[in-house]
Amino acid sequence: MDETFGNYSILGKAIPRVDARAKVTGQAKYAADIEVANMLWGQIKRSPYAHARILNIDTSKAEALPGVKAVTIGKDFGGFKWGWSGPTRDEEPLAVEKVRYQYEGVAAVAAVDEDTAQEACDLIEVEYEPLPGVFDPFEAMAEGAPLVHEDRPGNICVEYHWNFGDVDKAFAESYLVREDTFQTPRMAKGYLEPPAVIAYWPDPERIVYIGAKGSPYFPYRILAKCFDLPLSNVRIITPIIGSDFGGTKNDMTPADFSAVMLAKKTGRPVKFVTSQFDALTTDLRRHPMWITVKTGVSKDGLLKATSLKAVADGGAYTRMSPLTMFLVGTCQTLPYKLPNFKYDAYNYFTNNPSSAAMRGHGLYHSRFAADVQLDMIAEELGIDPVEIRLRNSIENPKPGKVYNTVNDVHVATCGVQECIEKVAEAVNWKARKGQKKVEGDKAYGMGFAAATYNSGTKLSAHNACAAIVRICEDGSVNYLTGATDVGQGSDTIMSAIVAEVLGIRLEDIDLKRVDSAFTPVDPGSYGSRVTVHAGEAATKAAEDAKSQLLEVAVQQFGVKPGDVDIKDKKVFVKSSPERNMAWERLVRIACYETPGKVIIGRGYSTQGISMYGLADFSKGVGDIGTNYSFTAQASEVEVDVETGVVKCTDKNVIAHDCGFPLNTQAVETQVQGGSYHQGISAAVYEELKMDSGQTLNPNLVDYKRPRAYEAPMTQVIHVITNDPYGPFGAKEASEGSTCSAPPSIVSAIHDATGVWIKNLPAQPEKVFWALKKKREKGQK
Amino acid sequence: MIAAFEYFAPKTVREALSLLAKYKEEAKMIAGGQSILVVMKQRLLTPEYLIDIKGITDLDYIKYDEGKGLRIGALTIHRAIEKSPVIQKHFGVLSEMEGNLATIQTRNWGTIGGNICHGDPAGDPASVLIALKAKLKLASSAGERIVEAEEFSKDYLEVALEPNEMLTEIQVPTPPAHTGTAYEKLMVMKGDMGIIGAAVSITLDSKGGCGDARIALSNAASVPLRAKKAEKVLIGKTINNGLLTKAGEVASTEATPPADVHGSIEYRREMAKVFVKRAAQLALERAKAA
Amino acid sequence: MKGEMKELKLTVNGKPYELEVKAETLLVDLLRQELKLTGAKVGCLDSACGACTVNIDGKAVRSCSVLALQANGREVTTIEGVADGDKLHPIQQAMIDHGAIECGFCTPGMVMSAKALLDENPNPTREEVKEAIQGNLCADEGYVKYIESIEIAAREMRGGQ
Repeated sequence: MDETFGNYSILGKAIPRVDARAKVTGQAKYAADIEVANMLWGQIKRSPYAHARILNIDTSKAEALPGVKAVTIGKDFGGFKWGWSGPTRDEEPLAVEKVRYQYEGVAAVAAVDEDTAQEACDLIEVEYEPLPGVFDPFEAMAEGAPLVHEDRPGNICVEYHWNFGDVDKAFAESYLVREDTFQTPRMAKGYLEPPAVIAYWPDPERIVYIGAKGSPYFPYRILAKCFDLPLSNVRIITPIIGSDFGGTKNDMTPADFSAVMLAKKTGRPVKFVTSQFDALTTDLRRHPMWITVKTGVSKDGLLKATSLKAVADGGAYTRMSPLTMFLVGTCQTLPYKLPNFKYDAYNYFTNNPSSAAMRGHGLYHSRFAADVQLDMIAEELGIDPVEIRLRNSIENPKPGKVYNTVNDVHVATCGVQECIEKVAEAVNWKARKGQKKVEGDKAYGMGFAAATYNSGTKLSAHNACAAIVRICEDGSVNYLTGATDVGQGSDTIMSAIVAEVLGIRLEDIDLKRVDSAFTPVDPGSYGSRVTVHAGEAATKAAEDAKSQLLEVAVQQFGVKPGDVDIKDKKVFVKSSPERNMAWERLVRIACYETPGKVIIGRGYSTQGISMYGLADFSKGVGDIGTNYSFTAQASEVEVDVETGVVKCTDKNVIAHDCGFPLNTQAVETQVQGGSYHQGISAAVYEELKMDSGQTLNPNLVDYKRPRAYEAPMTQVIHVITNDPYGPFGAKEASEGSTCSAPPSIVSAIHDATGVWIKNLPAQPEKVFWALKKKREKGQK
Repeated sequence: MIAAFEYFAPKTVREALSLLAKYKEEAKMIAGGQSILVVMKQRLLTPEYLIDIKGITDLDYIKYDEGKGLRIGALTIHRAIEKSPVIQKHFGVLSEMEGNLATIQTRNWGTIGGNICHGDPAGDPASVLIALKAKLKLASSAGERIVEAEEFSKDYLEVALEPNEMLTEIQVPTPPAHTGTAYEKLMVMKGDMGIIGAAVSITLDSKGGCGDARIALSNAASVPLRAKKAEKVLIGKTINNGLLTKAGEVASTEATPPADVHGSIEYRREMAKVFVKRAAQLALERAKAA
Repeated sequence: MKGEMKELKLTVNGKPYELEVKAETLLVDLLRQELKLTGAKVGCLDSACGACTVNIDGKAVRSCSVLALQANGREVTTIEGVADGDKLHPIQQAMIDHGAIECGFCTPGMVMSAKALLDENPNPTREEVKEAIQGNLCADEGYVKYIESIEIAAREMRGGQ
């Protein structure tokens, strides 16, 4: 604990977060905490049907209710459609012709208080013609199934077919071939803060939008298009955000559009605060997927080929399913060597709320399936699970070398072997054999898994990321960034990078959170890109500002360029350090000596794009990441064999190769969190259960989120590989643990009981019946 | 959020009872509100009159003497029962049950009386009180009456309170010598409502055989269910492992459990077997030690 | 009368208040909207998440599940009342130093549950610490560092033992 890595003043250590004090004293303002003078309250009118044509909307009674100031319906938006990218623009701010999922928004109201707004919504009369719907991919793909979108035959949203090498030949040459199907459940993103937004028009040509958005530049562009304004007139301000996990806070909701429209109609600010019920019934969620993996191995357990088929429930709109299905496939060729690979992906439209990105996006599904299957193969061949992974793992390339996968994914650093070895050592894996596994009605088992995650995601048209460092005349520093801290700690890391480069202290940096009127653009907090891309921009901007100051220093000291540096807020001559001056003094000289300078450093990221170009989704070729993190995990579980209840024990260890841990503490917290909340919870607790489009457990009592009493005290081991393409060697931290945790738990359950739970989550009843079946089979 | 109501905050039982007599069905009582506020926030319940009895300090007490047994005022908070040294010593099962009831925040404000009167068959106190042969004192402006805890629940969320009545006291008799009681419930996380639960009380006779037994199940029917047939499996016999298993199986046939997102009817039946046996095993151990 | 304003006298963070509220007002809404103490958060409708946790007479309670009028005559402490001016409470300092805080939405509730625990039980076991925050959902940090921070704060408050 509190280890130090590298030789830096600030980085590579435990860095307390810059926003922690505001949060722990209750001073931090989240969107729902913000009040604006003259504010109205908004509410959305939602469809009770999962699939229906809208015949008529009568808002007259709502408009007549005292206290109601404006009402808006879908038609007000003039046919505007939006989507995550050009080809995917299929969604309207409020439904116009038909609704495609239960509780889709059809109208919105602004009133003097929340209760009046709700009452007004109840007074809006909507005439629907209910339509038959499709509620899973199998219904959606059936011959003659009702169409969610009339112009999308077969309800196919995304379809990919990739082929690398010759899988059939490799299967024929394999010693063992296995095919298994796995299932991952529908999961809520799980952020505790339901989305909230305030919008107003300071004048008829300008929008101000304050909202909890993990990727604020999405609403920036989308609102500009929707309301036909130049980008410079759209001002997006982010308050403190209560998590995002790649979901709805990245992307637009009916409340976002309605707030702006109603603010336009009323001339007053409008605030929408959604509820956890709205979040659980309508916000974006993880795709439920059916993954079939067919793998061939040699007698020694070396992977020869994998054929992967993924069928996904994309929900009512496209959103970012093209990216999801790409991610499911792209890293199948990591972290193990895989010479032949085939991938067939099918993402269907259904009359369920839309599925989209969630922490562990894409890879969580396929890495879960592949790693559990690898354990099944290991069992069949009689090879130890750690041993089989070591045999297949990609070795860490030597400096300057790069490992290429068959689908053109380039890996400069890969610490997976070291991760596996360190975890195995930490849990004394070798000594496991022969240890007692049953105590009364409790059986114990341990599972092992390894995973990868893409870092510094780069996509077409979404990558530009910039930063500005402003040195104020008294030596204080403003850092303007488009990077959005959703709780992962990016504000702290960006500030730390700037301080490190400038040679001053973390406390000297004042980070300005996103305000698109002032901060430069950045795609947002998704795809584990912030540290890598925004970190590069931060580094460059700080270096730019520093070089401007050092120019002045060189003149002041009368030395050669390059012979000055700054450390611990002292500017000194490298060849004779007793010649120095305080940072503030240099800044004052630079700014005030006639005619004075204005020191502004700017930088933008290029690393990701400049190296290898963009990935091709339809062929499956190329890098989605700038670099790739690697993780290994061992999890021990206790299974109550009479009830099927699965609990983690405290024996839970993760080794994470994030290149270089810029903030060791943040990496640990993130890894522990990713493992428990998005990984273990997926394996054991969470499932949004639906029936014909209706959510059966839309509350936090029936939808079980993991809690403190059951939390394993996960130990985190840092593995350093110093990646050449990340700032200070860094790669993403923790999304890998969302992918390593589920297979480690499923394998642990198998180790304890002999049953494989292939469709998550391993809730008690499911485990109970599986155990019973196994007992009965054994008795025959 | 919550629909408007006319609010009263009586300070004495008498005041509360005269309000009940006046408003009857149109009035609802709120004690700790940990059950009722959830449904009021969702507007599933919109009473015209709300009688807030949390301020009636006269009903917040824990009294014990060996003769009369335990008397708990209806407005005693769960946390007080959990932490009471007297209850921990003489009626440990109540303290244990409270320790797994929801979370500390709920237990710091919610009352045992409010919990029982809410009438949720998944609730923990009711089945434990049935196993302990508790009685409930109900009061109205016309007088008082005592009912057996096992007669109190009529149906899902419906209890045997007349519109002008309120629960004032829970009476738990001192158990006979060689009695042990235990409550086990199926939780995924600590504090969950039990997917199913079993409260079992066993009294051993002078020869070490089972003189008396009580088995009550939570979340196994529309009311807390007393499994009388299962009790008969044990009473009058020397309890061994096989008999405990049989008691569980019989209790399982008496149950009419619900199906929901947490478990199917079949699973709950299977779990009834497991939890009756587990609770009975523990009760037996305690009876032997008592 | 329905909708009539009722008198409410309570102390919040040591400050006495005499207010008039509608009977249906929840304590959390009184704190957030009337008194502008937005530290307590609303995360759910089911009395399940604990983001609204405050202390009433030193005990951790969900303010979303308490009618404001029931706090009459009581002492309510919110997150804004935990620090002593600029000096942070050991629980707050430990959470910052140990890296427990991520998005921070659950943090005020966590602090209030931890404070109620340590004020009553200065030497809790790990099990007791876990139980104290079982009613506080977090979605980010896996609870590990929260648990460790509370233990660190407890040691600090006991004078370092």
